[in-house]
Amino acid sequence: MAGSVKRPAALHCLTNFSFLRGGSHPHELVQRAVSCGYQALAITDECSVAGVVRAYVAAREQPLRLIIGSEFQLENVGTLIVLVRNRQGYAQLCQLITTARNRSKKGSYQVFLDDFMGTLNDCLLLWRPQFKVPSANVERETIAVTAQQLKQQFGGALWLAYGRHYEADDAQRYSDYKQLSVAHDIPVAAVCEVCYHEPQRQLLHDVLVAIRRRQPLETQVGQLKPNQDYCLRTPEQLQQCYPSAWLAQSVVIAKQCCFCLSELRYEYPAELVPAGKTASEHLRELTYLGAQQRFPHGLRADVKEKLEKELKLIAQLRYEYFFLTIHDLVQFAQQRGILYQGRGSAANSVVCYCLQITAVNPDQIDVLFERFISAERDEPPDIDVDFEHERREEVIQYIYQKYGRHRAALAATVIRYRLRSALRDVGKALGFHEQELRHYLRQIDRRDQQSDWQQQLLEKIPGLGQTHRGRCLFALTDAILGFPRHLSQHVGGFVIASTQLSDLVPVENASMPERTVIQWDKDDLETLRLIKVDVLALGMLTALRKMLRLIQQHHQRELGLADIPQEDAKVYQMLQRADSIGVFQIESRAQMNMLPRLRPQTFYDLVVQIAIVRPGPIQGDMVHPYLRRRAGLEPITFPSEAVKEVLERTLGVPIFQEQVIKLAMVAAGFSGGEADQLRRAMANWKSSGELRQFESKLIKGMRARGYSEEFAQRIFQQICGFGEYGFPESHSASFANLAYASAWLKCYYPAAFYCALLNSLPMGFYSANQLIQDARRHHITILPADIQHSNWDHQLEAGGRGMQLRLGLRLIKGLSQSHMQALLEQRPAQGFQSLQQLRDYGLSGADLHKLASADVLGALAGHRYQSQWQSLALQAEQLPLFAELTAVPTTQLAAPAEFQDIAVDYRTTGVSIRRHPLALLREQQQLKGYKLASELAHCRHKQHVRVAGLVTCRQRPGTASGVTFVTLEDESGLINIVIWQKTARAFRQAYLTAQLLKIKGIVEIHGEVIHVIAGQLEDGTEQLAQLGVSANRSRDFH
Amino acid sequence: MNAWLYLHFPHLLLDYQLALQPPELSTMPQALTQSHAARRTVVQANNAALQQGVQVDMAEVLASTLVPQLKLHDYDATKESAMLTQLAQVLYQDMAQIVLQPPQGLLFEVQSLLRLHQGFAGVVKRMQARLQQWPLRYILSSGYSPLSAKLLAASGHSVLSTEPADVKAAIAELPIEYSGLPEPQIEKLRNVGLLTLGAVLQLPAAELGARFGRAITTYVAELNGDFSAPQSFYHPPHRFDEQVELNAEVHSWPQLLFPLKRLLQQVESFLEIHQWSTRALLIRAHHRTGPATQVPIQFAHAVWQQRDLLSLSQLHLERQKLKQPVLALSVRVQRPESRQAKEQAMFSAPQAQTDSLNALVSRLQARLGESKVQSLHVHDDWRPEYQGTLKPWQSDSTSGGLLLPRPAWLLPQAEPTERQQWQLQWGPERIVSGWWNADTIARDYYIALDQWQRQGWIYQCDKGWFLHGWFS
Repeated sequence: MAGSVKRPAALHCLTNFSFLRGGSHPHELVQRAVSCGYQALAITDECSVAGVVRAYVAAREQPLRLIIGSEFQLENVGTLIVLVRNRQGYAQLCQLITTARNRSKKGSYQVFLDDFMGTLNDCLLLWRPQFKVPSANVERETIAVTAQQLKQQFGGALWLAYGRHYEADDAQRYSDYKQLSVAHDIPVAAVCEVCYHEPQRQLLHDVLVAIRRRQPLETQVGQLKPNQDYCLRTPEQLQQCYPSAWLAQSVVIAKQCCFCLSELRYEYPAELVPAGKTASEHLRELTYLGAQQRFPHGLRADVKEKLEKELKLIAQLRYEYFFLTIHDLVQFAQQRGILYQGRGSAANSVVCYCLQITAVNPDQIDVLFERFISAERDEPPDIDVDFEHERREEVIQYIYQKYGRHRAALAATVIRYRLRSALRDVGKALGFHEQELRHYLRQIDRRDQQSDWQQQLLEKIPGLGQTHRGRCLFALTDAILGFPRHLSQHVGGFVIASTQLSDLVPVENASMPERTVIQWDKDDLETLRLIKVDVLALGMLTALRKMLRLIQQHHQRELGLADIPQEDAKVYQMLQRADSIGVFQIESRAQMNMLPRLRPQTFYDLVVQIAIVRPGPIQGDMVHPYLRRRAGLEPITFPSEAVKEVLERTLGVPIFQEQVIKLAMVAAGFSGGEADQLRRAMANWKSSGELRQFESKLIKGMRARGYSEEFAQRIFQQICGFGEYGFPESHSASFANLAYASAWLKCYYPAAFYCALLNSLPMGFYSANQLIQDARRHHITILPADIQHSNWDHQLEAGGRGMQLRLGLRLIKGLSQSHMQALLEQRPAQGFQSLQQLRDYGLSGADLHKLASADVLGALAGHRYQSQWQSLALQAEQLPLFAELTAVPTTQLAAPAEFQDIAVDYRTTGVSIRRHPLALLREQQQLKGYKLASELAHCRHKQHVRVAGLVTCRQRPGTASGVTFVTLEDESGLINIVIWQKTARAFRQAYLTAQLLKIKGIVEIHGEVIHVIAGQLEDGTEQLAQLGVSANRSRDFH
Repeated sequence: MNAWLYLHFPHLLLDYQLALQPPELSTMPQALTQSHAARRTVVQANNAALQQGVQVDMAEVLASTLVPQLKLHDYDATKESAMLTQLAQVLYQDMAQIVLQPPQGLLFEVQSLLRLHQGFAGVVKRMQARLQQWPLRYILSSGYSPLSAKLLAASGHSVLSTEPADVKAAIAELPIEYSGLPEPQIEKLRNVGLLTLGAVLQLPAAELGARFGRAITTYVAELNGDFSAPQSFYHPPHRFDEQVELNAEVHSWPQLLFPLKRLLQQVESFLEIHQWSTRALLIRAHHRTGPATQVPIQFAHAVWQQRDLLSLSQLHLERQKLKQPVLALSVRVQRPESRQAKEQAMFSAPQAQTDSLNALVSRLQARLGESKVQSLHVHDDWRPEYQGTLKPWQSDSTSGGLLLPRPAWLLPQAEPTERQQWQLQWGPERIVSGWWNADTIARDYYIALDQWQRQGWIYQCDKGWFLHGWFS
């Protein structure tokens, strides 16, 4: 070998996707390799390729050859490093990783030497034998046998990977390698083991070792690397370190590896297209077939034009199969009667509308097709389909059954270190006590936008910054933030391959049985332009289907989601009163606050309403200008005609994500591609701070086009505010569709509405009890659960005035559904006769007690105490020990007092339809002078009042500084309380802990919006306790 | 006749820890917390914390939001039980029949002491006087059975009466949550409306048994005193070697005065119980790392009272300097002797010797002090200065995992040297390590020969070349 190697190759590099082993991000290794002048860099994470796509992104357009590989640890063999030579080799590696991972539970792998034999013909193998010092003869023999096996299999594709890191046993190993090389004719290559990119990372790497071993670092020093030479060293350092012939060998190896990830081509499942047709033809046919249904009066010229434009673009980018795959899934759902709805940017597409994937008529909103799919961006369209949450599994099973498990798997989600986990793990490694770390974490308010966590901690605990350990804690916690911790499964993103998925990417086991995940997440897939199909779950769809079913059963009215009458004034009047509990998306306290202000009158108002009550628009201060303009209190002005076009329909205030992007294009001169980069930066600016780089470009661009500095600054602030929280218009429109549908059902079929919602829990914002209280306020008669009448689910019964809601046994905590249903099937027409009969029909003793406690056995055994007493005696008959005692006459127990009943109701079912505890207190004269919720509307604005109620919700929005919204419930309704920070501090204990809160304050009335501004808080929990009632836990500070 | 007394210390661990600190620290709100399932809650709190709204069972997050300056520590049932045992020893001076009810209770049989302390009131008074020395919150109650006394005290009811009727009335009022029954049983009883112990006791035992099983009939019998499980009474130990953990790092001897006072109070109890006195104490201050600082104290006369023990100990300690912060303090009583017994020789004549190493070492330790007998240990560290340490001798010494070529003779301080004087044989071994305790070294070590062919261990660092040891 001639001369020295000036541009070396690094062939064994671990990234932080070798969890807790690698100390650098993939892109950091790539950047360091480029700046040091390496010619090739192999990413060889342990039994994984999870980090390679990120490295690929960083290495694109760099003078660096990126080699894909993976490292495996084998007992008695040492470390084997597989490097990929070409596309076939890549598939072979993916298959090997898949095999090794499938043998083991999530996160681990198992591999044997046999797995490497005959399966890696297009790969190179580097071997790092494990020489023990001093090595025993047995070990030498094992190594010799392995050498023979590997040499026989791999021949010229095998090297010994000698790494020198200036350790005490260097000399011994050098001669070991030389001997082995000569004895078996295996060449040696200089292959450093790289664990992090630059020397300074040694600290973090040491910490990772301690975290992995779950011990303080100081007790693990023997496990740490002795020096910093596990970084990517400079070519000069390498030349000093290795014989030049060995260095040259590593370059020879690198030159043989020619595979690039850009060669991966996604091949779609072919079975979706009938023989004899092209995918394009088939899609066109289906689309026009659907168009006839969607537009029964024929396609308008402009819609048809849009449709054609989409089809052309889809064909150009060859996305037909993607649409066909999703079409196939929604077809399946339709056949099964599973409700679904497409959302995301897909709602911008006429094709999706025609294929019945989405339900938003593109006529209703101004669709920005480029947002959905564009030739310039050249990235896969984003179609999310929500299915009923109780039946999504059927759709998933359909995918597995149709394509097979070897062809379909979930995308991964990379779980990363966040502040809490980072500080805790690093802290423990540095020897901090758990209690100390918890204390530090409590000092940090992550919603504080003024100062970062380090400043906050230093302010409150100044001493921490003065110790060496404290400074290390700060620096290393910061360094580990964002490090991947493990792979988890994506909520519902499936990747489907045409043949074998593991030719494309390794597949491993998820923690959920029967689920498999690939090693790449959604960003990786997007980079490589691979398609994933999002199969998501949505509780409201379940509830809607149940509502429609009830209406069909009890009102003989066949309704589909699409048949619900549009733009019904009564529905909007109801929403304007903030009567929206249970309505999709607009039921939260913040949304309910907004409703009477925004006063929605049309579908588009709902689209705005949903998008505006989001952290993005609120932080960007867009809400108040919008409201003022809507109320005509502020003129609607536009700095230019171009801006007017973008913002006109939202009164000059940017509310949707698309508007921000368009604004960047028309006002700051961004190209489509740049605007899209901006969109991505917006999506994760909090974690990367990427957005800042656009700041000057945006502001300069706008200034250059004649906009004022103030306008430019405001737009930028709004973009920052948007962050990841802004909704695209199309997405908001999809949600508005469901919001309107559920509101219409609440308005016209309230009994069915509540019944179906209750049968779909857990979902939404409110508990069963809160929904039932709301139903009663809407004059729906609630009938108690009863063993003679109830089913498992809640049901409607005709009687009295209209429909009554009979509670089901599903409310009872801990009851077994299958056992109960088996029992109910045997219920005689005239009802059960005795407790004994329940036992005879197979009811377990435990379930019987739960029924008795929940007071549903009244018809058989009297009040709940007595029925429990009797059911306990039944159980005892099984015990021979007390058999002779059962002849004793049964004692009659005293009936529970009303408050006791209420208390036990809450405890056993979380619901009571007896009187409200507040009504009892009022009856006992304990709330003299306190107004009812229903009386507040008749108060004067600014009148001093006292109110009391159970706390159902405490909310402190991160956006409104220092104010807490508390919702109180009394027997007549809900009361909205506003507590300012000063008041909260003065009455800290009541503010934080009271279950029953008594408030002295001032009522504020703005139209339909009624608030009580709290002046004094009093904790009334003690009064509640005297009743024996402990209220349900409220939703606090979520 | 109520033959039993029960002492319940609801905040024992915290109170005890506070008792070891200067009183002004007790005015800071402090609490102990414990994890249960996913929740971490307050289990004990001092008065300052309680007054500001902290409650037992409150979530830790809530408590610290409520009282931001609240100091939190972990609850530890083992430590608390150990303290209970120490308390039993203190009370043993007055009460002969004590049953430990860990972690927070002590049960006393009173009958046998009535004559000694002039009746029931006398017993109670005696006990209260003894407890006065300790700033512990407690509830003392009497009972006609061990269980009745325990339930009352544990639920915060102090019924001090000789009349069983008084106890019966209080027991009947007790909510079922305080029955001490397992949670599922309580749940079952509540479900049939049996919300007080009185309601349960009214029902025929047969019906109760048929529904709730034998456990409940046994319980009722035990509560009524009809049946009682055999009690195992406390016996004081024959040696004293107690340790107290401090809640914070302590940097000077005066700060150790409070915990020392408490320990010496216990020493007095210990000596009193056995009618012993002592001539020697060993006080040890324990640090985060390294051996404890030992202060042996010799008394000219045999003593047993706290004030005598304290005054001399204080004299000794004032002369000492603490090199490291202290985390725990312990006191051992050495060579206690009967108060009547005549003086013994300082060192008794040698016994028949075993030649085992252990015997030799323990004799050496006895003569020289434990810390004086040391052996060489290899510590896992890359830095040579940290690798070899002398540690107090341990019979089961384990060697470190790092097997590195190291010179047998490591110089205490590396000496500057000239590169030219050496002929490099092997190297470098590069050591860049030690950032975690701010003592990073960055050196390239070589094995090299000097002009007399002696094998030395030299290194190069940014300050030049140094000789660090000799292989031969």
